[in-house]
Amino acid sequence: MKPRWIALPFGLAFGFLLSWGRMTDPEVIRSMLLFREWDLYLLMGSAMAVGMIGAHLLRAANARSFVGGEAITWTRTRPTRNHVVGSVLFGLGWSIACTCPGPIAAQVGAGRFGALFIVGGVLGGIALRGWQPPRRTVRAPDEAAPATAGL
Amino acid sequence: MDARGSWHVIGPLIGLTVVGMLWVTNRPLGALGGYIDLHDWLRRPSGKIGWRFFFLVGVVGGGVMHSLLAGGIHPTLTYGGFAGSFGSPLVEAMLLGGAGMLMGFGARTAAGCTSGHGITGTALGSPSSYVATMTFMGTAVLAAHLFALLGGGR
Repeated sequence: MKPRWIALPFGLAFGFLLSWGRMTDPEVIRSMLLFREWDLYLLMGSAMAVGMIGAHLLRAANARSFVGGEAITWTRTRPTRNHVVGSVLFGLGWSIACTCPGPIAAQVGAGRFGALFIVGGVLGGIALRGWQPPRRTVRAPDEAAPATAGL
Repeated sequence: MDARGSWHVIGPLIGLTVVGMLWVTNRPLGALGGYIDLHDWLRRPSGKIGWRFFFLVGVVGGGVMHSLLAGGIHPTLTYGGFAGSFGSPLVEAMLLGGAGMLMGFGARTAAGCTSGHGITGTALGSPSSYVATMTFMGTAVLAAHLFALLGGGR
């Protein structure tokens, strides 16, 4: 089995949990952002805590990946201007639509096809970010934001 | 399944999903990468589509699964949230598309979104993820309050 397919069940679990926790409901996200409820902050915090403990256990146990057999590793990256500027724009988009890239995929699965407008926008934004103005002189393309754990 | 799962169930389960994916595939969990792989494939459909797209397909499938358990899928074009605030479906579609563009452009620039930076990156102790998460959370909270003020505190 190729690693490509192995990512699918994890997406399935993630999408199911997003839907079950109702993070796919823009009103829930709005309540979170307006501090009308704190559940999602606790949810994110507990997910992060469990992830952190688990990752360190994997490392402590010298665990190897099932797919490739290599040691489990991850990269830590230094913050750059791109992380700040990009996140300001991302946060703006988040507050307008009251959703983010994970939940919109689950919304589409739930038959809420209005989310497809957002999906189209996300793809357009990615295209715009990668777009280079045509130039006469050949120059090396700017390196996009560094690959990090964030992807 | 129609009832909302509480944070102390969903949160740790999402954390375990992150750990499980790291263990099995040695790769960080994040939604944005699936869109990037889809975009790259749309530009060059002759090539193979990246693995992160398969994760994204899974997320869609997770939405299908939950809906089926919660009473079935009822397809609709409405979005919810601010739906109805503008009265015009066209305005709403443009607003959603614009918000999506901000998210796609922004997350691509910041190299991650709420899942990739906010959960996985912070769990893995990446400083850039802490900065990104604090920035987009802070921005989203401030902007949401501003919109609520402008919109009469709905």
